[in-house]
Amino acid sequence: MRLELGEIHISDIKLGDCSKVENGTLYVNVEELRALLLEDEDLASVDFEVVHPGESVRIIPVKDVIEPRVKVEGSGGVFPGMISKVTTVGSGKTHVLKGCAVVTTGKVVGFQEGIIDMTGPGAEYTPFSKLNNLVMICEPKEGIKQHQHEHAIRMAGLKAAAYLGALGKDVTPDETKVYETSGVMSGKEKYPDLPRVGYVLMLQSQGLLHDTYVYGVDMKKSMPTILNPTETMDGAILSGNCVSACDKNTTYHHLNNPVIHDLLEQHGKTLNFVGVIITNENVYLADKERSSDWSTKLAQFLELDGALVSQEGFGNPDTDLIMNCKKLEAAGIKTVIITDEYAGRDGASQSLADADPAADAVVTGGNANMVIHLPKMDKVIGHPEAANIIAGGFDGALEADGSITAELQVITGATNEMGFNKLSAR
Amino acid sequence: MVKEIERAGVTVVHMCTVTPISMTVGANRIVPTIAIPHPLGNPALTHEEEFELRYKLVEKALKAFETPVDDQTIFD
Repeated sequence: MRLELGEIHISDIKLGDCSKVENGTLYVNVEELRALLLEDEDLASVDFEVVHPGESVRIIPVKDVIEPRVKVEGSGGVFPGMISKVTTVGSGKTHVLKGCAVVTTGKVVGFQEGIIDMTGPGAEYTPFSKLNNLVMICEPKEGIKQHQHEHAIRMAGLKAAAYLGALGKDVTPDETKVYETSGVMSGKEKYPDLPRVGYVLMLQSQGLLHDTYVYGVDMKKSMPTILNPTETMDGAILSGNCVSACDKNTTYHHLNNPVIHDLLEQHGKTLNFVGVIITNENVYLADKERSSDWSTKLAQFLELDGALVSQEGFGNPDTDLIMNCKKLEAAGIKTVIITDEYAGRDGASQSLADADPAADAVVTGGNANMVIHLPKMDKVIGHPEAANIIAGGFDGALEADGSITAELQVITGATNEMGFNKLSAR
Repeated sequence: MVKEIERAGVTVVHMCTVTPISMTVGANRIVPTIAIPHPLGNPALTHEEEFELRYKLVEKALKAFETPVDDQTIFD
């Protein structure tokens, strides 16, 4: 597959009466977008705010972050199975509005949404403080159930990102990047001497607001399967979860998965990137056994020499991670795992809930239990009292002066297990 | 908690879903349960069936208490 990503650099967002992309500015007709989003009967209101890097603004609780994209050439459309039809994506040409994102907030859905600070110490911990964000405050109708609430906000974010992305369809990109992948056989012929490397991408699928969707399929109901790496860049994988903010993969992470981008960068040079095996993190032990058996079996089918495994979330998914690692290593496939740590506030406790000597090559995204202090911001978008209930927060986390003392866990993307952020350890 | 209670001389049966974690942590008597969000229940069953399921699991745990073990043991 060959995918061209045309990046349109967005340096500002302005709300107005016309939606367009012009000279690097994204103009948004708020009334038109609001009308589109309020077609969902579960939403009572949607309000918009624009925030820029460096502003004294806190967004809380953050549900998802999504990068606007549009398919320009090739089959299918962005966010297949959710916004577009289920047609296979990942080839042709896609335009990206780079430097901006849609951020969804509103009344807390579960208890695991996060915080984005646009300045101060909190901003250092989240990559989303560096973007121009269109924040959408989505409030649900009274009386709807939690899963309907999650669905409504998820769809609002995706619809808005697709709406904004479409504005870039006829705009000439500032930069074009080409990603080309090989078939299993042609890759072998082309690069006979390079090590065959695959990526085992673990997707959060514990249910009860912890779900990920692939072409619209709820991943907890799927067996592990294979994706072409470029499919993820068109939104084949979408976040539908309210799992702990620091190590959940937002839709933005899936679209810009750094493991995939780095492996493609090395493809044909130092390694042969054979493909992506996606697997789940379910709550039944039999599912964990079956899925790790299958991800290993698929890795063997692809005759991999090495595998990179990334996790999402923590706790019992540590077992899925260790099972994947153990079984891949036992099959003779050299394995590196990417995870993060819950090592206690002092960092002295066991980092993962499960462990095995086979996990001898580990990359960490940092310790999510570390306590941080987030000073008061001039402006708060959303519901600041969520700080007292979200994972990593506690009763009293929100102080009277508007500052927050909580674990790093509360910050969206802080210890991302795709390695999207800057924290690590040696 | 399992280890500390045992260290104090009280036998523990750990009823849990993810038995590999229980093994890693060092529990000696492990009874596998249904699922992480509902270890001793199953929302797919009727109220009566769920009671039966729970009754049997507790019975299994009580048997595990009585069973001498030399090593970490999962009571399937």
